[in-house]
Amino acid sequence: MFEGIWTGFQVAFSAQGLLFVFIGAIVGTLIGMIPGLGPITAIAVMIPITYGMDPAMALLLMAGVYYGAAYGGAASSILLNAPGESMSVPTTFDGYPMAKQGKAGKALAVAAIASFVGGTISVILLTFFAPALAKVAVSFGPPEYFALMLMGLTAVASFSDDSTIKSLISATVGLMLATIGIDSQTGTMRYTFGNPNLLEGIDFLVIALGLFALAEVCSLILERKEKAANMNKIGSLRLTKEDYREMAGPMGRQSVLGFLIGVLPGAGGTIASFLAYISEKKLAKKPEEFGKGSVRGLAAPEAANNGSSSGAFVPLLGLGIPGSGTTAVMLGALIVLGIQPGPLLMSDHPDVFWGVIASMYIGNIILLILNLPLIPLFAKILRVPRPLLTSLVIIFCLIGVYAISFSTFDLYLLVAFGILGFLMALVKFPPAPLLLAFILGGMMEQSLRQALTISNGSFSIFVESPIALSLLAVALLSFIVPILKNRKKKKYDVDNQMEI
Amino acid sequence: MKKQFGFIFLILTMVLVTACSSDSASSGGEDGKWKPEKSIEIVAPSGAGGGWDTTARMAAKVFEEEKIIDQDIGVVNKPGGGGAVGWAYIHAKKGNPHHLFVNSPPMILVPLNGQSEYDYEDFTPLVNMIADYGAIAVAADAKWDNLKELFEDMKKDPSSITVIGASSPGSMDHIQFVKVAKAAGVDIKKIKYVSDQDGGALTAVLNGSADVYSTGVAETVEQVKAGKLKVLGVTSEERLEGEVLSDYPTAKEQGIDATFVNWRGFFGPPDMSEAEIKFYEKKFKELSESEGWAEIRDKFGWTEMYMDSEQYKEFLAKEKEELKKLIDELGLGK
Repeated sequence: MFEGIWTGFQVAFSAQGLLFVFIGAIVGTLIGMIPGLGPITAIAVMIPITYGMDPAMALLLMAGVYYGAAYGGAASSILLNAPGESMSVPTTFDGYPMAKQGKAGKALAVAAIASFVGGTISVILLTFFAPALAKVAVSFGPPEYFALMLMGLTAVASFSDDSTIKSLISATVGLMLATIGIDSQTGTMRYTFGNPNLLEGIDFLVIALGLFALAEVCSLILERKEKAANMNKIGSLRLTKEDYREMAGPMGRQSVLGFLIGVLPGAGGTIASFLAYISEKKLAKKPEEFGKGSVRGLAAPEAANNGSSSGAFVPLLGLGIPGSGTTAVMLGALIVLGIQPGPLLMSDHPDVFWGVIASMYIGNIILLILNLPLIPLFAKILRVPRPLLTSLVIIFCLIGVYAISFSTFDLYLLVAFGILGFLMALVKFPPAPLLLAFILGGMMEQSLRQALTISNGSFSIFVESPIALSLLAVALLSFIVPILKNRKKKKYDVDNQMEI
Repeated sequence: MKKQFGFIFLILTMVLVTACSSDSASSGGEDGKWKPEKSIEIVAPSGAGGGWDTTARMAAKVFEEEKIIDQDIGVVNKPGGGGAVGWAYIHAKKGNPHHLFVNSPPMILVPLNGQSEYDYEDFTPLVNMIADYGAIAVAADAKWDNLKELFEDMKKDPSSITVIGASSPGSMDHIQFVKVAKAAGVDIKKIKYVSDQDGGALTAVLNGSADVYSTGVAETVEQVKAGKLKVLGVTSEERLEGEVLSDYPTAKEQGIDATFVNWRGFFGPPDMSEAEIKFYEKKFKELSESEGWAEIRDKFGWTEMYMDSEQYKEFLAKEKEELKKLIDELGLGK
């Protein structure tokens, strides 16, 4: 094994290898910064370019693009509140508030470091445990996925600081939106009103950019006087010792958790980063800081989604099963290079297997070296005069949505969700539960129905599987515990008041 | 090194140029001959990375590399509605021969399921290029060793066997299985089909959640090599060529008279002139015979299946008739 990784490193550390990773990282970061263009598009664009190249070099280029695009996505989430991909949504929760407080530089640095740590820890795990974990990857069937999604969904209850009811209402709307489109179990059209643009449902990006970025633009325009002072400050990049101490725990834990979730095909980065955010909020001594620019709250999802990105390579390299959209495109890219990933990849093409892993180490390092000095440059976008910046964000969102669907209909939808998001902000309905429920709802419904079809309608299928049963138990607990806690707290408050 | 760099630069420039170019010098039109006057757009009615997208991108690449067409060719993705959005887009380009699109059996199945108002007859079939076939696979330790055994059990107790595929009911993975099962005498309305569009179908078969995996032959090769899956039958007329592939028994040789071709070809907008059709037929024929394309076919495991416009139309009419019967019997037709 060490021989394998050594050969991999030799290839990756050649001058040519480094150059390709470097080019990939720059191209990837730039593509990733545009909302809507994430790692999937970035790699798809690279496929025809890598055709005919030496496979090892092509993989290095793509590893650079992959990590670059993931990091670029974090930048637009932090600076503009415009998450380009579902997995970078939790990055906005604390990243954007930091930018608003004039700490954009620090936020980007935290994201870069957390990504690096998440990426590196998980690649180390991948190096040592990939073959062993391949078994874990196929342990999930429809009932287990349903339980996992349900567990993810219970997170909505923890999103609100004031009103659980508002979170739940918001989540319900998200679940309803998820039903739009052709139902994949029966082929029936649901709520499409004969409009072909709705056949495939509403794209995640339309809702995310509308509810987050456009809604924020509206608020910025309204409150242009008060906050204008802070926001065009970038602040120092330097992290204090205190910051590092804060970050260390979440980064370590969430890199591993993210990796493990990434190993499950189909679950992926979104669940990993949401769960990371929620679990850190629950573990934190001062959970009230979350959502207001907490370093922990930013580091956790960033470490987790990078961890899960490497985790997704376990089923791809170990079994030939692409577990996420990005690895599906990677699979295509490997085929073009003449390599068919499958269970035998490691024994048939050890050079490719280790080449990919070595390129991930290098990709992570190069990205960190490349991005830290570039942060002031990225952050300069905030120096753009306010009226211009808000218009830029609007254009950014329009382009992002148009680039994935090429449909003007989606642009109208985007504007509609922008208005909805703004109205929700006015009456303090949190948008995150809506988005989370929308993302998980579709998959949850499908796996529920797949499970019930398999069991001929019997719900016992969820109890028979130990994995599903334990996940359901965790889901139940995470729903009940906060309610009990609240009750206790209320009682405590009442007692306190009485004393006074 | 330098060469590779130059190559990347070239591609990037090409992408840019394709995006912005309008007219170029060449123009034709004398005596019934037609030549494209500006860059050609090939639409893949799906997102990046799928079968349609790959076919379109690879065709565009070989066209340019082997200088078969001296215009720029750009590939555009129009995802949505299982193809319906892209078809609506091309339909609006009526009479403009600079817009083509890639398609395959969903072009027939999606309209039959009532999910698109346009049917292949609303467009101009130009050429078919390649064929792919379906495979019916089960976990390596499953109790069935051939299709006969599987279908015997299915006839006895259809509710005990789950079939899983990546497409929705009434689309490819479902219909190819149904077509074979029907020929074997199974009551197709009772088949338990589960659709997993998030890539979990193979996993579900490997961990035993589902029993039968209906998919394309290419998806099974590596799993069979590793001893994880066994293929009970494929939907081609004769045995396929290639390592592992040639071991797959066809449904036909097991006495089940059914085939299913996943054909893939190029269409144009409605109302194309005879000269325009002739132009594309000639160029695609050249493409089909080129070395670059042969290499790509091998890489992706596609079989050559060239048909010109006339042959294609006849073929499609026959396909539609057969598939319509199945869809109607399943009660999915609209």
